[in-house]
Amino acid sequence: MMKRKLVLTTALLAAGALTLAGCSSEAAPGDSAKPLDGAGKTLNVLTDANTLYPEEQQKWFADVSEQFKAKTGAQVKFETFATANDELTKIQTSVVSGQGPDIYSLGTTFTPTAYATGAFVKLSEDDWKKVGGRDRFTEASLGISGPDKDNEVGIPARSRPFVMAYNTEMLAAAGIDKPADTWDGLLEQAKKLTHDDVYGLSIAYGDNFDPWKFIWAMSTQAGNPIIDGKKVRLDDPVTIKAYETYFGWLTKDKVVNPASIGWKASQALASFADGKAAFMPMVTATSINTLDASAVAGKYAYAVMPTIPPGDTTRPAGGKEAASILSGSNFVVADYSKNKDLSFALIEMLTTAEAQKVYYETFGEMPTNADAAAALEKDNEKLAPIVAASKLSVGTPFSGAWGDVQLGMTNVVVQAIPSLNSGSVTTDQIVSALKTEQEKAQSALDRAK
Amino acid sequence: MVTTPEARTRADALAAASAASADATPARSTARRDGHPAPSSPSRLNGRPRGARKTGERDRPLWMLAPGGILMVIVILVPLVLGLVISLMDLDQYTLRQWVSAPFIGISNYVEALTKSSLIQSIGISVGYSVLVTLVCLPIGVAAALATQNRFRGRGLVRSLFLVPYVLPTFVVGTVWRTMLQPDGVGNAMLANFGIDGGLWLNGPQSYWALVFVQIWASWPFIYLLVLSGLQSVDAEVHEASALDGAGWWTKLRYVILPYLKGPITLALIISFLHSVNNFTLPFVLFGIPAPADVNVLPVLTYITGFQNFRFGLSAAMAVVSLILIAIPLFIYLRAVKLDTGEDGGSRVRK
Repeated sequence: MMKRKLVLTTALLAAGALTLAGCSSEAAPGDSAKPLDGAGKTLNVLTDANTLYPEEQQKWFADVSEQFKAKTGAQVKFETFATANDELTKIQTSVVSGQGPDIYSLGTTFTPTAYATGAFVKLSEDDWKKVGGRDRFTEASLGISGPDKDNEVGIPARSRPFVMAYNTEMLAAAGIDKPADTWDGLLEQAKKLTHDDVYGLSIAYGDNFDPWKFIWAMSTQAGNPIIDGKKVRLDDPVTIKAYETYFGWLTKDKVVNPASIGWKASQALASFADGKAAFMPMVTATSINTLDASAVAGKYAYAVMPTIPPGDTTRPAGGKEAASILSGSNFVVADYSKNKDLSFALIEMLTTAEAQKVYYETFGEMPTNADAAAALEKDNEKLAPIVAASKLSVGTPFSGAWGDVQLGMTNVVVQAIPSLNSGSVTTDQIVSALKTEQEKAQSALDRAK
Repeated sequence: MVTTPEARTRADALAAASAASADATPARSTARRDGHPAPSSPSRLNGRPRGARKTGERDRPLWMLAPGGILMVIVILVPLVLGLVISLMDLDQYTLRQWVSAPFIGISNYVEALTKSSLIQSIGISVGYSVLVTLVCLPIGVAAALATQNRFRGRGLVRSLFLVPYVLPTFVVGTVWRTMLQPDGVGNAMLANFGIDGGLWLNGPQSYWALVFVQIWASWPFIYLLVLSGLQSVDAEVHEASALDGAGWWTKLRYVILPYLKGPITLALIISFLHSVNNFTLPFVLFGIPAPADVNVLPVLTYITGFQNFRFGLSAAMAVVSLILIAIPLFIYLRAVKLDTGEDGGSRVRK
């Protein structure tokens, strides 16, 4: 007991020291005065498996572990999950049993659900200080940390904003100087660029995640946040319009490859990489890897996706300049963790400008650290649109019912695939599908506490 | 987690296969003893453990069942009871953390499952497709078993090849077929050679047939396996006798061989049905989630409700309903295990 108290006191003192050290300058790894004594302790961190760079990830784990051991004496053990389902199961198990990882690196859209379980530390001002201060992070990246500023659980870890890749050669050949900033304009450009076996847009209708992001973005830009306080607004006219536009690209405008009704995001990207499409909306910076090794290497660039909703030339009142969902990962610390201060110390270490720069260089994911983001924007022209999109990211509604809504939005697309295949999805069909999902989502929202 | 029910079904299948052959073995030895193709049923019954059970009833060391019993309680009974309890609770993401104290809401979950969710449709889809798969698998399995019954060059190889679909993990089967059934995949390219426009297999009404087809592809070897084990129990003398009596192939098959197979086939049908009803991995991998409405089978619906929408109470209620659904054939199955294949075969032959 005495020993425990002693350790705790030391830990608290050390945490304070660390904060001070953090304020003055970056504490070099292996600092002689160890700020937090974690000797003999082990921190467990759950994070997503990086399938693009598995070896680099293992090395990064080892590096972080070593660095943290030098700093605090504590060991860091990483555990990975392969899919979103895997992630859900792990979290559910840990929440129920009250044991498991100390730190979770969660997908941003999952943060509201995690918050609803109440199993993660709500960050006090003090806690924020321990991770280097709230103002260390870009303002946009904090958009989905909690329902409001006083109830935040998520510490921004990485940003993966969605942007649009385009084939510079094709655009130049068609005399288009830059991608449009309205969805209507983009469609016009896509029509101009569709010929033979080349399509204007590459879209993954068969993906389990992509479709709802389009619908959400167009709706939000038109002023419908989908969840509006205690009301779900899936049956809103602007959302219906969003679906019509999204399906129309294939059925009416024919600027999309008909095979794409079965495509996952990676297949749509492959088609763009083959030079078979002019625009590939809804990609992240991680696509650089694929594209640089493809037929379009050196012939593509990124742009912020349109932020003016379909049917408009200027954003209507109430509409948000949502270039992307707020995408990426947040760190959350488990409430049951016995090593909270150590956890905060590790998160502090991983979110410094330097650490985030290293992370970006290894994995191609954008920093959430404001300084690192600013530096990157300045140094790398190609990435500037991505950093810009990161700043224009808008968080999906912070509600425990968001999972249901998201699934419902995707479901409308899934169930419309047969009609898409036969060449037409009628407005009636969209309206009736949305009505069903609206009811389900509303009842899920009514349960929210 | 995903493969557990799968593994369980397979274990069931193995147990059943051994049960079937265990049933068959004494039949063969009795047949040999009295030189009659059909074992005289009463003597055989008496020779079976049923008789032995009676004599040793008083001082059996029942405590030796304890390890198995405890395991049963922990692995089966406790989760079952927990599932029942959860199905009566309002357990979701908001109450998950202190799940023991989640509000008790009686049968509301059941009412919601039956009236507001797509449970009824899902039961229809699940049962319909399982029956279909089982019925189609039966003749294929029997034919394959008969074809490999007689010795021929390369029989071992053919028998092993027949088992390939069954041995492959469902995940692999699902992934491979998903690739082949893409709109621009190998499947449609092949159909196009015959002038058929394949259309959409992984969504829409055809997805149901895709599920049926792939499930048949993956599960007929199981029926084949059980029928084969049943065929082993048919004595060479039976074949000789029917040949001497001048029975044609159909008469022989219908009146001599099939009666022997009644037991194994009943088992195979029931287990195959349960296997299809319970199969989560295949539809999950083939179609992903949210599943197209035509293949929103029971396990997938339960999974989405519980693990995607966090409605654990509702999901547990659905699971209980599906348990009842499965308990009906399971009950028949338990009766079927006791079926005396030899006896039946005998009575038919004697006619």
